[in-house]
Amino acid sequence: MFNGFSKSVMGASHEKTGLVCQDSSAFKVGDGYAIAVVADGHGSKKHFRSHLGSQFAVEAAIEAIDRFYEEREELERNLPTNAKLIIKNIEKQVISNWNIKVEKHIAENPVTAEEKSKFTAEEFEAIPQESYYGSTLVAAVAGKDYTFGLQIGDGSLVAIFEDGKAVMPMEYNESAPANVTASMCNSNAATMFSSFYVPNKRLIAMFGSTDGLYTSFGSEFDFLDYHSIITSQLVNLESFKKVIINNLTKRSHFGTEDDISLSCVYDEELLTEKLPVLNAQVENNKKRAAERKAALLKKQVELE
Amino acid sequence: MSNENMNEQAVAENPTAASLEDFEPSENVAAPEAAADNMLDFDDDPLSATGVSRKSLVIFFLIDTSGSMKGKKMGELNTVMEELIPEIRRVGEADTEVKVAVLTFSTEVRWMYSTPIPIEDFEWARLRASGVTSMGAAFKELNQRMSRNSFLNSPSLSFAPVIFLMTDGYPSDDYKEGLKELQNNSWYKFGLKAALGIGQEANDNILAEFTGSKDTVVHAYSGGQLAQMIKIIAVTSSQIGSKSMTLSDDTGHELGEEDVFAAKQKLLGQQIQELVTSQTDENDVPFDTGW
Repeated sequence: MFNGFSKSVMGASHEKTGLVCQDSSAFKVGDGYAIAVVADGHGSKKHFRSHLGSQFAVEAAIEAIDRFYEEREELERNLPTNAKLIIKNIEKQVISNWNIKVEKHIAENPVTAEEKSKFTAEEFEAIPQESYYGSTLVAAVAGKDYTFGLQIGDGSLVAIFEDGKAVMPMEYNESAPANVTASMCNSNAATMFSSFYVPNKRLIAMFGSTDGLYTSFGSEFDFLDYHSIITSQLVNLESFKKVIINNLTKRSHFGTEDDISLSCVYDEELLTEKLPVLNAQVENNKKRAAERKAALLKKQVELE
Repeated sequence: MSNENMNEQAVAENPTAASLEDFEPSENVAAPEAAADNMLDFDDDPLSATGVSRKSLVIFFLIDTSGSMKGKKMGELNTVMEELIPEIRRVGEADTEVKVAVLTFSTEVRWMYSTPIPIEDFEWARLRASGVTSMGAAFKELNQRMSRNSFLNSPSLSFAPVIFLMTDGYPSDDYKEGLKELQNNSWYKFGLKAALGIGQEANDNILAEFTGSKDTVVHAYSGGQLAQMIKIIAVTSSQIGSKSMTLSDDTGHELGEEDVFAAKQKLLGQQIQELVTSQTDENDVPFDTGW
């Protein structure tokens, strides 16, 4: 049986400037599958409704994935041979859902004079409507013995399979131009997704997070170790939730001051079974972190 | 519905009607202001094993350790760099983690440490001078390391690097070839660059080619000046480098990263020139006396 949690905390920089939290996150446990989703609204001037855009992105992703799981048996029969095509179709559905939500919202809530007041008439005309709601998206899906995920824009996806090691399985889409942040609001958004599919591997836990979490770490090792620690504590999820919220809040205050979202789904039975492996991994990570620190401080120049 | 055969048209025609009632949207949590201090001391937090990193900045020092630096120049440089570390530490104290990487070049090019070191942990290794001036090789090595896949791989990296070149002579290799490679590196393009010529032989034109402007090149002719100039450049550039400059101007127009970079580099040139002209010590003994 899958379980999960998700949290979004507001960044100190947004508190200072009076902005609302631009992130959204959610998880869903379905029949035989689970979804973890996070989205990060762009937050800059022309994306003035991006806090809603990130909410729509999270909803759009869950609705799209749910729809494919309406015929779960058929989906799971086709995934091993057609994963790329199926994921591509899910991505198209996500973008389609998001655009419908944006259009509906703008029809019901036309742009106000106050929203327009920050631009000259020409500037405002030049902004496509979808841009008001610009957002990233990371969605992770766990099935019985397979896993897949999709992503547009910044953010991270970490998976812990039964060997207990934390890995980032996303295969990044190199065709997305490096100097342009991919976004749900891009006209060619459906072509800008990155994705992955891992068959025949049991998953203990999988996490999606917005960029604010990754940038609060000094190294990628620390970032991955963080997920291992969380996973080792999930057996006591209710009492551990407070610790997670505290830690995310601390990170959003003392790191890059950005909003942070973390969403997780995990397999309760496998987690219990693999707890000794996870605990050993956490201890091993600590040792390796100490070794890295020692290696870091070794001088290698010719001394006086 | 066949997932396998679902085409674009089908996607467009089938806006989903799935119920959202059964998924759990997360609650958005605003950080309680009063709790800010306590959060640092959350003792029971097993997650504290992985520390919170502040925004980070890397300062690169490129130091000429060729034979001509032997004696007073190298001795003074070693001393001033040892003194400088605590001063740079103070720059980063507020909200930026400063990391330092030192590349020495003579016949060979060598990094002082295998990776940029947080300033809190940094310890200066007193350098020895010998050999020729492989500046072009140093530029090539810097180009290799200034990459997300190498020295600039920290997730918390938030600012373009500061790059500070110190040399006392003319390059003995093809520096232009190395510089050409470096000039295509985006970190170099957006980084804050400054250079210090030591003694009579250093060529300010080459240094200006490296920094992109004469304003960010200074010259030291004596031990006293060397100490002053290194401190001025290193402290000023790390202060400006770690400054979060607003991305919009007075009229509310958003500025691109290139504008922010240009504004920072200009500010560095102005501040260096202002500080340099205010620092003179007529009793100082020139390096070249008795050399």
